[in-house]
Amino acid sequence: MKLQLCSFSGYKIQPGHGKTMVRTDGKVYVFLSAKCERAHMLRRNPREVRWTILYRRKHKKGMEEETTKKRTRRTQKYHRAIVGASLTDIMAKRNMKPEVRKAQREQAIRAAKEKTKAAKANKKANAPAPGKTKKATQKAPKMPRAGRPGHGGHGGRR
Amino acid sequence: MMNVKPILQLIVKCTRDAGLHTCAPLQQIQKLTRLRVIDNSELGKSAMLEGRPPKCIHIYSKIRFGYTGDKVLVAIKGQKKKAILTGCHQNQKPLMPKFDSNNIVLIDDNGSPLGTRILFPIPTMLRHKLVEMSRPKGADYTKILAIATRFV
Repeated sequence: MKLQLCSFSGYKIQPGHGKTMVRTDGKVYVFLSAKCERAHMLRRNPREVRWTILYRRKHKKGMEEETTKKRTRRTQKYHRAIVGASLTDIMAKRNMKPEVRKAQREQAIRAAKEKTKAAKANKKANAPAPGKTKKATQKAPKMPRAGRPGHGGHGGRR
Repeated sequence: MMNVKPILQLIVKCTRDAGLHTCAPLQQIQKLTRLRVIDNSELGKSAMLEGRPPKCIHIYSKIRFGYTGDKVLVAIKGQKKKAILTGCHQNQKPLMPKFDSNNIVLIDDNGSPLGTRILFPIPTMLRHKLVEMSRPKGADYTKILAIATRFV
């Protein structure tokens, strides 16, 4: 025997109990007791009647808070290869040790400085104009930044 | 005496206008009760559409009233037809559902239904009574359960 739920109160109806009523339009109502049946006949809304399960569910009383937890959505992060660098290159750069990175940076700075020194010397030799030397000095601070290994991969993204 | 008459008239007028069923036994199926045909037979459908639902003229039962599952004789569109009561508005015995209208399914003498389908819900408890009513070599009244679509 299937355990039915009361149409009004929401309680379980044991076999042998209750009363069923079929309306002219074919809707079936099962009532646990005369109390539920009469409340339904009085056209009371079970969502406004305090002791019914529908009311408790609507106003979130009791059990509901313990059982249902909101599931937080988490977006999956995963590494992708970009046009400028393949996945292995990206992973290599990411996993590089800080000492190695520092050494690379120093090397790049040294190389850049050498380059600027050479450029300066050349310019002094060729055309000793004061404006051009200023331009050369302005370029120097920018070069080391470009030389740093981390930035190379991001160029394509931007 | 002169003062009572208008009051009585008023009371009679009020009860008549209210149209209330004041007595529970009046909801029973008895002679001249109007019934609602719920199968899709031509006769039943046309009668219901016309607005002249069938009238019960005889109940095949020792007591004068009909309960769910009783066989009745109805007058429908000038003909006499037999029918089975599948739902009553009256409060029923326990486990039998109560309907808001008095429903019948038209049958012939052998118990075969006149229609091909019943779209309205029918009580499952009906089977017990119909099996009791049926005779092995005579009428088989459980045939109406075969054309039913929804059970209650």
